[in-house]
Amino acid sequence: MRVALFITCLADQFYAEAGVAAVRLLRALGVEVDFPEGQTCCGQPAFNAGHWEEARALARRTLRVFQEAEYVVLPSGSCASMLRNHYPELLPGSREALAFSERVYELSQFLVRVLGVERLGEGLKGVRVAYHHGCHALRELGVREEPLTLLTNAGAEVLPWEAAEECCGFGGLFSVKLPEVSLAMADRKLSTLPAAQVLTSTDAGCLLHLSGRMAKSGVNLRVAPLATLLWEAYAG
Amino acid sequence: MRAKARFYPKEAARLLKERPGVREAVTGATLHFERNRLRAYAEVPIEEWRERAKAIKDHVLSHLDRYLEEAERRLLEKGARVHWAEGPEEAHQVLLEIVRRRGVRRAVKAKSMLTEELGVNPFLESLGVEVFETDLGEYLIQLLKEPPSHIVGPAIHLSLEEIRRLFHERFGTPLEASPEALAGVARKVLREAFLTADLGISGANFLVAETGTLALMENEGNIRLSTSLPRVHVAFVGLEKLLPRLSDLALFLPLTARAATGQRLSTYVSLLGGPAKEGEEGPEEVHVVLVDHGRTALLADPEAWETLRCLRCGACLNACPVYRQTGGHPYGYVYSGPIGAVLDPGLLSLEEAYPLPYASTLCGACLEACPVKIPIPRLLLTWRHRAVAEGLTPGWEKTAMAAFRKVMESPALYRLFSKALRGLPLPQDLLPLLRAWTEGRGALRPSPKPFHELWREMEEDRGRQN
Amino acid sequence: MDARTRILSRVKRALKDRPKAELPGPPHPAPLPDPLELFLRRLEENGGEGRLMRREEVRSFLEALAQGFSGAALGRTLPLDLRPPLPELPPEEAPLGVSYALFAVAETGSVALSSEEGRKVHLLPPTHLVFVEAERVYGTLAEALASLEALPTALGLHSGPSKSADIGQVMVKGVHGPGRLLVAVLT
Repeated sequence: MRVALFITCLADQFYAEAGVAAVRLLRALGVEVDFPEGQTCCGQPAFNAGHWEEARALARRTLRVFQEAEYVVLPSGSCASMLRNHYPELLPGSREALAFSERVYELSQFLVRVLGVERLGEGLKGVRVAYHHGCHALRELGVREEPLTLLTNAGAEVLPWEAAEECCGFGGLFSVKLPEVSLAMADRKLSTLPAAQVLTSTDAGCLLHLSGRMAKSGVNLRVAPLATLLWEAYAG
Repeated sequence: MRAKARFYPKEAARLLKERPGVREAVTGATLHFERNRLRAYAEVPIEEWRERAKAIKDHVLSHLDRYLEEAERRLLEKGARVHWAEGPEEAHQVLLEIVRRRGVRRAVKAKSMLTEELGVNPFLESLGVEVFETDLGEYLIQLLKEPPSHIVGPAIHLSLEEIRRLFHERFGTPLEASPEALAGVARKVLREAFLTADLGISGANFLVAETGTLALMENEGNIRLSTSLPRVHVAFVGLEKLLPRLSDLALFLPLTARAATGQRLSTYVSLLGGPAKEGEEGPEEVHVVLVDHGRTALLADPEAWETLRCLRCGACLNACPVYRQTGGHPYGYVYSGPIGAVLDPGLLSLEEAYPLPYASTLCGACLEACPVKIPIPRLLLTWRHRAVAEGLTPGWEKTAMAAFRKVMESPALYRLFSKALRGLPLPQDLLPLLRAWTEGRGALRPSPKPFHELWREMEEDRGRQN
Repeated sequence: MDARTRILSRVKRALKDRPKAELPGPPHPAPLPDPLELFLRRLEENGGEGRLMRREEVRSFLEALAQGFSGAALGRTLPLDLRPPLPELPPEEAPLGVSYALFAVAETGSVALSSEEGRKVHLLPPTHLVFVEAERVYGTLAEALASLEALPTALGLHSGPSKSADIGQVMVKGVHGPGRLLVAVLT
């Protein structure tokens, strides 16, 4: 099986090691991994802000860059949903976009639904994890149980978190267009954080936002993308 | 009501800074509503209910002319008077005629968002009519001269302390008075008003075309009183409130209650059909005012027409993490929260409501909550796209988006940008955005090397090993 | 052109090219097995107080109840044998209102009150006692509405005591309507 990794611009810049983890993990599970080097951004920031011309140009580009791929796997629920759900809306009538959308998976979703892997190893034994459900992974892709299953089966204790499914307030451009509201949302989310050793999520944007806010308020907690933890689950 | 939706970003920031208690009160109340809604949804086959409700509303909306005429006919048969109003002006005319003819001095009013749209209270007051909002929450904000903060709980932004202070100043109650005692004071004032008012004003949750029945939902009894005791009852009804059949109420009443407050049914439901018969208690005159005020324009909108399914249950407000931080006031118009963000641009104009579609992270919680499946996230995107197309977005955003496209269309430029992020000076256009980010979250710390460089290193390693 | 004509013509224009959505037929929910038991449970969950009562128990029940009240307002359709042994007072002054429901709904714990009885009696006294015949207790609101031959001028569904949480999210009973709702189901 052959997978093309779409690292996504945010993970490329801010969580590069999660990309390495994803590649190692997929290879360890017997999957061949490509990294089409022409990739940049999926266009979601423009799409969500209403700039559909710009978004359309980047969607077409992404389709071109990944046209050969059997599967496209992303360490991001939000970007995966952009490719899967919004490309066909953005390019109405494009059969290519429609066919492409069915080959797109968020990493944990790919592991569980396509590879049928629910156990990676026991490398997270006893680790107390707070899992933030990225909104698009959860509500647009329907990825709720996959990350929890993979983490729990690796020995992690995923702690109950009242606000686990609440938006963190990132929202892409929202975070800079309405910074006060965005921060108030992060504060609400963080005020209910359980006593975890690590905070994780499928989405780099949420983690960047939450970790930045924690640093600013003097909270010291390890923040790691899900891909990183899944590799640790495998490699110990 | 005059819309101030344009100032949403500034007003939201100001409220967070100046009235931090609002955030606490609204978060607490909405989370409470939300938990109740989830429990109430889980008790029934909610997906079937929602699909069915959506289908019925879509049917009504796609045959609206027919149902409006049918409802009008039935109402007339029952002796109600039917008026049609484009907006405030004609609505006010109806009131003016009644006030003059009947010598109205006092009016009791049941909570209605439509009457907020129409500015009913200020108009009646300008005629010298004393108006009492009789829903307890609505009464509180009337005393404070504030607009409602929530469709269902107009005063959820007020803490118990604030209400205690208000009653202390107004009625001399002790500062530590219990909620029961405070409610008792309001009850006394309003009971007197019910018994002496000449005019009762309400909205309506539904208007059943088949029978010409108005359906109203509430928990306090103030709607039942407002529509029963005064000699004249005027109901303002938005064009979208129609239901085809009486039997449809068996779905819509419980669905609305479950969505709004998590109840199986609101404590009181009034099904009203015209003036009292000879010898019966009840109003001698019933007026039904069918109000457009932007609804036909929405109906003509190829996408936003779906907002006309809205039941005004407030479930999307309760589910919305953005709304929870500020309550409804910063949105600057009658309808706030997610539904306001997609409804207000249609009822007002996009220019007037421009920032509202941006008052969302597109998290999708509103769509999950909506009892009639209004595709709020998709409509938010639609309005944003229209805002861009109409040139309403700020200059910096346009420049930033053009630059973004340029960079992301070219891997070479993208790589250059990637280097810039790690030391080279960044383009000036990005600086305001960066500042907005770093002020609350500290400096951005990119990975030492971007993944695309690490990938090359990994591949080189693999090449060496093979 | 008047507002009516203008509005209706805009509606027609808006719908000209809109596909017509079909109206789903009315639902046919299966009748609930034991509506009486469910009604009492749901009413209680709503904050009301309900009990089953044989017709012959009514007299002694009303006599006991009358001890706590100085008078009562009575619904116009209340049968003679359901009247409490109390002086009749206008609803504005009565501490108790007694009425006779058209029907009750089990799934929502509601009683339905017709304007033919009056309206103040349902709303003004702080305690409201409602009698309903057991055979008029329907499982669902759909069944109950279908059973109606004609609607009264005003039909009120009451599903518990008047309440509000508008003051600091604390639940307060008896805000405008009765703070106590008692329902006796006559078997």
